Amino acid sequence: MSDATNSDERIKQTSRFRQALIRPELGGMVGTVAVFTFFLLFAFDSGMFNSQGVMNWSVVSAQFMIIAVGACLLMIAGEFDLSVGSMIGFAGMMIAIFGITLGWPMWMAIIITFVICVAFGALNGYIVVRTGLPSFIVTLATLFILRGFTIFIPQTLERKTIIGGIREAAEGDWLAPIFGGKVLTGFFQWMGDVGIISVFTRGNLEGQPVVSGIPMLIVWALALVVFGHILLTRTRFGNWIFAAGGDAQAARYTGVPVDRVKILMFMFTAFCATVFAVCQVMEFGSAGADRGLLKEFEAIIAVVIGGALLTGGYGSVIGAALGALIFGVVQQGLFFANVESSLFRVFLGVILLFAVILNTYIRRMITGER
Amino acid sequence: MKSIMKKLMLTAAVIASPLMASADAHGDDLNYILVSHAPDSDSWWNTIKNGIALAGEQMGVNVEYRNPPSGDLADMARIIEQAAASNPDGIITTLSDYDVLKGPVMAAVAQGIDVIIMNTGTPAQAAEVGALMYVGQPEYDAGLAAGQRAARDGVGSFLCVNHYISSPSSTDRCQGFADGLGVDLGNQMIDSGQDPAEIKNRVLAYLSANPDTDAVLTLGPASADPTILALQENGMAGDIYFGTFDLGEEIVKGLKSGIIEWGIDQQPFLQAYLPVVVLANYDRYGVLPGNNINSGPGFVTADGLAKVEQFAGEFR
Amino acid sequence: MSDPIIRMTNIEKHFGSVIALAGVTVEFHPGECHCLLGDNGAGKSTFIKTMSGVHKPTAGTIEFEGAEMNFADPRDAITAGIATVYQDLAMIPLMSVSRNFFMGNEPRKKVAGMSFFDHEHANDVTMSEMKKMGINLRGPDQAVGTLSGGERQTVAIARAVHFGAKVLILDEPTSALGVRQTANVLATVDRVRKQGIAVVFITHNVRHAMAVGDRFTVLNRGKTYGTASRGEITPEALQDMMAGGEELATLEGSLGGTV
Repeated sequence: MSDATNSDERIKQTSRFRQALIRPELGGMVGTVAVFTFFLLFAFDSGMFNSQGVMNWSVVSAQFMIIAVGACLLMIAGEFDLSVGSMIGFAGMMIAIFGITLGWPMWMAIIITFVICVAFGALNGYIVVRTGLPSFIVTLATLFILRGFTIFIPQTLERKTIIGGIREAAEGDWLAPIFGGKVLTGFFQWMGDVGIISVFTRGNLEGQPVVSGIPMLIVWALALVVFGHILLTRTRFGNWIFAAGGDAQAARYTGVPVDRVKILMFMFTAFCATVFAVCQVMEFGSAGADRGLLKEFEAIIAVVIGGALLTGGYGSVIGAALGALIFGVVQQGLFFANVESSLFRVFLGVILLFAVILNTYIRRMITGER
Repeated sequence: MKSIMKKLMLTAAVIASPLMASADAHGDDLNYILVSHAPDSDSWWNTIKNGIALAGEQMGVNVEYRNPPSGDLADMARIIEQAAASNPDGIITTLSDYDVLKGPVMAAVAQGIDVIIMNTGTPAQAAEVGALMYVGQPEYDAGLAAGQRAARDGVGSFLCVNHYISSPSSTDRCQGFADGLGVDLGNQMIDSGQDPAEIKNRVLAYLSANPDTDAVLTLGPASADPTILALQENGMAGDIYFGTFDLGEEIVKGLKSGIIEWGIDQQPFLQAYLPVVVLANYDRYGVLPGNNINSGPGFVTADGLAKVEQFAGEFR
Repeated sequence: MSDPIIRMTNIEKHFGSVIALAGVTVEFHPGECHCLLGDNGAGKSTFIKTMSGVHKPTAGTIEFEGAEMNFADPRDAITAGIATVYQDLAMIPLMSVSRNFFMGNEPRKKVAGMSFFDHEHANDVTMSEMKKMGINLRGPDQAVGTLSGGERQTVAIARAVHFGAKVLILDEPTSALGVRQTANVLATVDRVRKQGIAVVFITHNVRHAMAVGDRFTVLNRGKTYGTASRGEITPEALQDMMAGGEELATLEGSLGGTV
């Protein structure tokens, strides 16, 4: 009955390369390579890979990345938040109401909006945890409530559903540029002068490079991805997230504060949605009642393409970021490739199907599921 | 045998030549992109798609149609940026949210791309963004003209069925109509939502609460069709003064049967066709009309229905 | 015989109108394997859940190391040194052995003032503990889902022991296992008992109990029939007490041997 041998002869030695490859992000990596190959073949000279084209799909990908990080951590913790899209519209509208209708300084409007939305996230989490209802249902209710308020409040106060003038109201504010500004503008001006990037040829923008800097949206996206990845894989709290989603009861028995983890993840998702909304409102200068429609499903699709398991306990933030990248590249790339825009949904469905099948095989290899 | 082959080939060449003429006749390759704000579900824009296809064929240019699938205006801004990145010869677009869209449109103009604004937006805004011109129906003015016409017909109060409450131009239409009548808009404009059953119920509710309403104004087939059903249900069809914006199959039937007095045709065909013609001639010969082009309002009554019926949903 | 490490006196537990435990008194001593026997529904699971802080007793007292204890939640009991390995193991198949091993007790290291999960330490400890228990892992990242049922049990026991359990409660550990794996688990129990830990072994299988047990208590319908030591009682007698005896006695007759 002695098992004191150094290695078990029943276990095959797998190569280090194979070990490195079989990881949750593999599906996302394969998808990214496939998508870029496709567009390099079909849209190489359509402008997709010049500086403007790259900025175009990078920005759209960054949008998805921000909410995908929140959705990913929450899904790994075992819950869904369907109200993300409504919260994007709600947060944007609140900033407009506070900043324009009530005339508060923009930094105050932004901070108060964050507080309100994160509180809503906490409320979502608290209800889910207290009642034991599926988060699908609870956040579906929040989806309707928030969207309703987003239409009702501006209609009542201003008799319209789009409130503009935010760019003017945000001038000189210290907090607004952190969401709506651009970085590395000097570097991009240099690239325009030297000829690496083309410049505007007329109007009052003449001489400026067509891409004038990296929007803060992209900076936020990368920062959130890095933060989410480190939190999930390298901290104690990250272990608790996996545990809460993998088997909440088992986690409770070993002393993991499952309820606290879930509520915090709902709050983080709300935070991500608000970051998205503030960046969007600061960049575009207006808030509309129909912003963010259906974005929660797009976030979930990105997360699933990235390898997360719908029932929780398994997933990767890097994978979700790759899923968001794929989403953005496909959405804009189809326009560059002159494909009929209604085929976007067909493409998305096919990619989703392949990604899920591939991810299921990879997961079975990793976790020994049958 | 040989002569028959020769004849066949000649015939084939003759038949094929007009089709080949378009690309070769001008010896250039002009590309235009039309970016609309409409979601995929909005069938009114079919006329636009057909209009630019016809214009493209006749003028020998390539025209693409792009739109945000869910109607999200933030997505539309990204599409305009993407269109500019692909360096076309011209962009035709709308200004359905001036704040959101003016940035990308102005950037496209600054890049050297010619822009024409159509459908939604005011001539003043079009000039501000640096567009060549505006082709469309100024909403407020159309509403005003309609209201003045209704006032001449003796109307004093009305119900405005707004199915697109988030669009400022819809509100402009109702406001213009109220001003044309000389009354306050107040509660006479309702948010009917977009679901047909909901619209019908809300119209019925308003009319039963306000039985002295003189007129009903709808803003398009989306609100007109359910309203026709509502009026048929509560027996007011034909009695109440019913005017609508835009045309459509049910609206045409309503005109013929006397339920609807007039339809305001903003003539979307012209909003699609004319910008392509203007851009092509501007790029080739440098000529440009000296003012904006009002594609509407064209008041269509029961008398002028023949061509409308023939091309409803396609070019009218 | 040393002092009992846990003494449960007259424990009652009611769930609404259902009386799960109707006054149970048992003592557990360190270095001893005490088997708790009883058929399904006898109240064994409820009893150990009360001991480990999941339920609060409706009546009765728990004394731990001589002092009266009231556990507010399972964390309290774990901190005091009472570790439970449940039938469903509290192992999460999707996560690696290392993460499971340290769940709830993650080791931390500080980098630039922030604390991070110390994966190196966790992996080293996991690999060595598993080796001690006779399980050879491909690597610390191996998912628990790839281990057999017996191996998962052993990981769960190793985890409990490593984190300083003074009392180890095993809830039906061998019920779903094959022969070889059962033998492994029983060997582990023996090893653990020799380290001075009090083992509470819940089972309805008399043969497994007789293999490792020092003392035996039978629960039936929420009450105990008392405690017997090894040598004082026969397997048949234990069997009788568990099921109420008569049916199995008749069955034995027709089957010709111990059930």
